[in-house]
Amino acid sequence: MKELDPLLHSQLRLAVMSILMNVEEADFVYLKEKTESTAGNLSVQLDKLSNAGYISVAKGFSGRKTRTVCRVTERGRKAFEEYVETLRTYINL
Amino acid sequence: MEEKKLTEQESLSIITEMISRTKERYIGNGNIMLMWGWLTIAATGLVWALLAFTQNPLWNWLWFVIPAIGGVATPVMAKKSDRQQGVKTYADKISSQIWLAVSLIAIAASIVCIGFDFAGIYVWSLMFIYALIIVPFAEIAQGLIVKEKSLVVGGACGMAVGLFTTSCIIGHIELHAYWFLPTFMLAFACMMLIPGYVINYKSRRK
Repeated sequence: MKELDPLLHSQLRLAVMSILMNVEEADFVYLKEKTESTAGNLSVQLDKLSNAGYISVAKGFSGRKTRTVCRVTERGRKAFEEYVETLRTYINL
Repeated sequence: MEEKKLTEQESLSIITEMISRTKERYIGNGNIMLMWGWLTIAATGLVWALLAFTQNPLWNWLWFVIPAIGGVATPVMAKKSDRQQGVKTYADKISSQIWLAVSLIAIAASIVCIGFDFAGIYVWSLMFIYALIIVPFAEIAQGLIVKEKSLVVGGACGMAVGLFTTSCIIGHIELHAYWFLPTFMLAFACMMLIPGYVINYKSRRK
């Protein structure tokens, strides 16, 4: 049986990817609120997803504050779809 | 939420849970609509009053106040709204592309009118058709996309006035300022002000 992508098979990263698959883009504050995670943990997981090329992270300014906006990449979309497909075979959906 | 390894069932429930959380619809605010509504009504009222008092058609150039102010204020207000929302959905993307197309049509229509003006032919009524057919159509489309009834109803009211106006123009019935401009203002109140206030009310309640 095919193995589940270890990068996605983690609670917070999977949550972030699930959100980003459903929207065009989301900022850090929104992701933090929806995943109910801490800023530090979320930041680390976003870096991992970004380094793997699954998401793109754009840092900009909103007034005086910084604003980090995340989007899922084509590679990330494909990886997520494969992950769901593999998951279906595991649980016989 | 902490990082930990998951069972397959847990993975599935996270995906489902996150999808349902992104479905919580943020209706946004109606401030951009209110800005366009009040701006158009104020400019129309001003042109109407000046035309009535002075009989000088040059006051018609004041119509350009609407795109000048609205064109600058809209991106600023939209950016602020995006920041508050924190997320851009596919519906938001389609809506903003629809309004971008509406803006480009406005520019194209203005160029056509100015071109005809240079040739000594007055076709500025085209802008009324634009404002009362293209804009309501976009509003109805947006209403259907975001499932907001006030936008659909408001757009339909504007469209009804637009169809009437277009028929008058085609039938060579003159659009006299004393009856047409108040009708135009009323149409914009239905199209922009009422949905704008309804959306703000719903947004505050959420």
